[in-house]
Amino acid sequence: MQQLDNQEILMKLKSQKQFWDIKKKIKQGFNDQQKIGVNDIQKFAQSCEIEDQLIKLISHILKKSKKRETLKEDQIEFLNTSKIKWTELLFKNLDIVHQKTKNQEEDDTNTDSKLYIYDEKNLLAFLQTFKQQQSNTLYQNVQFQSNKILNINIPLKSSQSILDKYQYLLLQEELSDEKINKIRKQIENEHLDIELEKIAQTFVPNGERCLLYLKYFEFDHQDTVLQQHFAKLQKECLNQLFYDELLEIDGHEISEDTFYFVFQEQILTCLKCFIRDRTIKENIRIQLQSGIKKEHAEFQLPITGFFPFKNISKYVAPLCYLSTKIHIIYALFKEFFCRYFCFLHSISSESNSILSLCMQIEEIVSTRSPKLFHHLKIIGCDTLKLIIHQLVYCFIGDMDPPHILTIYDQIIGHDSLEILVILCVGFLNKYKSKLLLAKNQENVQQIFSELREDRFQELVQYAYKQ
Amino acid sequence: MSEYFRKYIKKEHYQNHYSNLKFKTSFRNCILEALKRRQWKEVEGDDWDIMWAEKEWIHEVMDHTHLQPNQKINHFRNHYELTRKDLMIKNLKRYKKNLEREGKNEEANNYNFFPQTFHLPSEYPIFCEEFKRQSQNGESKTPWIMKPIGKSQGKGIFIFNKLQSISQWKNTLRFNQEAQQAEAYIVQKYIADPLLIGGKKFDMRIYLLCTSYQPLTLYLYRTGFARFTHHRYDNEDISNTYVHLTNVAIQKTSDNYDEKLGGKWNIQTLKLFLMTKFGQEKVAETFYNIQMLMIRSLQAVQKIIINDKHCFELYGFDILLDATLKPWLLEVNASPSMTSNTPIDFELKCGLLDDVFTIIDLEKVLTGNEEQIGGFDLVCRGTPIKLPINSTFTTYLGSFNNRQQQLKKIAKSTAIRLAQTYQETQTKPIDNGSKNQKDEKEKQQRSTSKGPQTIQNGINNKLGMQPKQNSIIKRNGTNLPALGTIQNKNTVKRQPLQNAVQLQPPQIQALNSNKKINPSEEQILTVNQKLQQLTQDNKLSTFQPYKQQSQYNDVMGMSNRNIQRDEE
Repeated sequence: MQQLDNQEILMKLKSQKQFWDIKKKIKQGFNDQQKIGVNDIQKFAQSCEIEDQLIKLISHILKKSKKRETLKEDQIEFLNTSKIKWTELLFKNLDIVHQKTKNQEEDDTNTDSKLYIYDEKNLLAFLQTFKQQQSNTLYQNVQFQSNKILNINIPLKSSQSILDKYQYLLLQEELSDEKINKIRKQIENEHLDIELEKIAQTFVPNGERCLLYLKYFEFDHQDTVLQQHFAKLQKECLNQLFYDELLEIDGHEISEDTFYFVFQEQILTCLKCFIRDRTIKENIRIQLQSGIKKEHAEFQLPITGFFPFKNISKYVAPLCYLSTKIHIIYALFKEFFCRYFCFLHSISSESNSILSLCMQIEEIVSTRSPKLFHHLKIIGCDTLKLIIHQLVYCFIGDMDPPHILTIYDQIIGHDSLEILVILCVGFLNKYKSKLLLAKNQENVQQIFSELREDRFQELVQYAYKQ
Repeated sequence: MSEYFRKYIKKEHYQNHYSNLKFKTSFRNCILEALKRRQWKEVEGDDWDIMWAEKEWIHEVMDHTHLQPNQKINHFRNHYELTRKDLMIKNLKRYKKNLEREGKNEEANNYNFFPQTFHLPSEYPIFCEEFKRQSQNGESKTPWIMKPIGKSQGKGIFIFNKLQSISQWKNTLRFNQEAQQAEAYIVQKYIADPLLIGGKKFDMRIYLLCTSYQPLTLYLYRTGFARFTHHRYDNEDISNTYVHLTNVAIQKTSDNYDEKLGGKWNIQTLKLFLMTKFGQEKVAETFYNIQMLMIRSLQAVQKIIINDKHCFELYGFDILLDATLKPWLLEVNASPSMTSNTPIDFELKCGLLDDVFTIIDLEKVLTGNEEQIGGFDLVCRGTPIKLPINSTFTTYLGSFNNRQQQLKKIAKSTAIRLAQTYQETQTKPIDNGSKNQKDEKEKQQRSTSKGPQTIQNGINNKLGMQPKQNSIIKRNGTNLPALGTIQNKNTVKRQPLQNAVQLQPPQIQALNSNKKINPSEEQILTVNQKLQQLTQDNKLSTFQPYKQQSQYNDVMGMSNRNIQRDEE
């Protein structure tokens, strides 16, 4: 951690609006007095909570100055080696994809729209291999938990604590216009992370969401910086990369979604810039792929340090509902990915990682709806296989954009992806009765291919239904 | 006739049974389909009840023919006063001036939804003066747009910001002696900062039905389109391309969306986007402004259009939003395109037309007091209709289009009312002695015949509206616009029916006795069951026009599913 000296803290303090507000307040407090002693100020500050505010402000500055290191090594050695294996696997897939595109160039008539390096099913399948390996070494005698797909010894939060954490969502009340306006003002004037998080946890009015996100990511005064950065990346896009082709193919699914087809070009532009952005490697919270470097130029990882995967466009799409400016959309996407979504693709024991989330879901479903859990197991369509798509892609494409943004709010509000666990559990509970009647995988697929309407609040309610 | 009406209303209860109705049209798209779906007969000659004619027919034939009292036609005689670009502007300008003269400045100021416009060649000198004045004031950056008056679909449109380009245009006209009748143009200040979505420009197509100009009676359709333009102006080569920078070149990957989704959003999706981006209040205001814009443009020509009880007109308004969400009127179409490019589009337009025909009411089954028929909401009858103050809606434009449920509801209440009327005329033969009595009865009947509708409206207020309000609050509460509207579906569709039935026991009896059902059975249930049975029996037979075309299966599936949901 980088240490700040007092001078620097003062400098940073002065750049905060709240600091000047506090100063003004103190001045007002001593309006008519001629001489003001340090003690007087101290007393005054204590009496009207100014001191608390100052402490908060300073700790906020210190926290901000601390740069988050990218997680490279996991505390569990086994996962580190797995990550290397995963990366090797992806390189192999890349080879295949590369070969396919080459073939396609020769044969123009047959364009395969399913070209991608990996998708969520590949990822889950890879995670599944852990079980056998570990049970060989650690759990030789433990057979009783074998019903779960994933059963790895990593530190997990108790599922009850997650359920408790989000229980307040059930009690969401309707807010009056007055209160909504109050929240609006609050968003405009607030700068502290904690306060912004609190707002995001409870309620973000439509129309203010973009500002809240920008403030939370500290982009609110950086419009020109963002614009320049984006323009620079756009220039770089003129040099074609192999990955561009994959991204273009990836956009097809988005182009078939009523809500997002309008944004297809913007999404593609964002992604092309994204794989060329050098700053991602240092900003991303966890390293997604690690290990070998190959020499052949075409077969290297993109500059971001990880492969673009199938449906990466989905993460950008809902953000198009926040701003009409593409550089803002890009900045938000980048931040969301580097802070949160990267964990959905990471082989790690972190509490946000796909591994932990999956295990949480299995845990909750198997304890709270054991019947469903076993039924799914018997018909050969495991719980996780059912919801992995929704989990990895944050329900994007399954819910209307405003609902997705509510999920985003919750992610920011708690600085965590655990809300997805709640929603996945709710999702399963919602279709529980139908799923219990399903006799095979086809039945299950049929249930989900039907027209359905999932909503945030509804899924939360289902999650807590016994 | 909408399938629900056919299902619920008994043949002998019709004043004018649908199988007796004849239509004539030269169109071969959704219009023909919608007419056929009502099970009307197509005819060639002059013996028709409704004619969906082309505009030209009106000009050529209508002045020389005498229409029978029951005949209906889809244009007003001089509709061009509103639908020709130059005349529309002229009429709007004149109406605005009149308002100013009458001292109604506030209302006059509301007529600010059309850009500064001049007629060419007649107003060329004034335009040049204005152009030079603006150039001197440094406003020269806003370009102007030239539109030929007679053409549509963007033909002949070009944009310029130098007088030179227009003098060139003038010269070619002069040079071309054959075209002495210099083609008339209007020149309009270009709306320079349109709202862009996904980097694309769009305009909205909204449908307004006018059934009468005296009193001005307007119905607004809940669904319309936002049409994203990338090819619209592409064909014209314009020297100053910066205007068109907004039209991002089409990527090769985006080729397929035109086929599948038609490059369109429906208004509901647009509203969802705008609400997420700009917040509820601003969007509510915008949509209200759009509704008022449409009413105002018709008010401007109300005294000019020759009112005719034979005529009705479905207008397609083209509206553009600028970056501040202010709506601008681009033009009004008298015969909006009824050709569809996707199955969903097809269903939507057929539904729209079906609702138009229901409102025209050739079968004479409605009371005329209905506030909502299918996807149409009454927005003006003499004066603009204001929604209750406590309503969170300012307009139904862009709100959930519950036409299926609404039609079902209205068909049921109509069936009950007609059954009662029929029974009373049957059981009480005309008797001189009791004529007065009968008149009185009829009066009562009329008031009760409004009953279902008023009750329905009442329910709309109590139950229908309430959930809407709740849902809106809920939207506020959870910030999820889609949530409310869909929840609404469930609440609206069941409660009003049961209540309507509960509130009308005598009518149920009437209906029951008609259907010869043992009255000792539980009445509420039997009616519902009976109706359900009827619906289920007819469900498939009513929706079959595309059976053979597999590509329509999606839509079909959807519509069937919707009905099933209703049934549940």
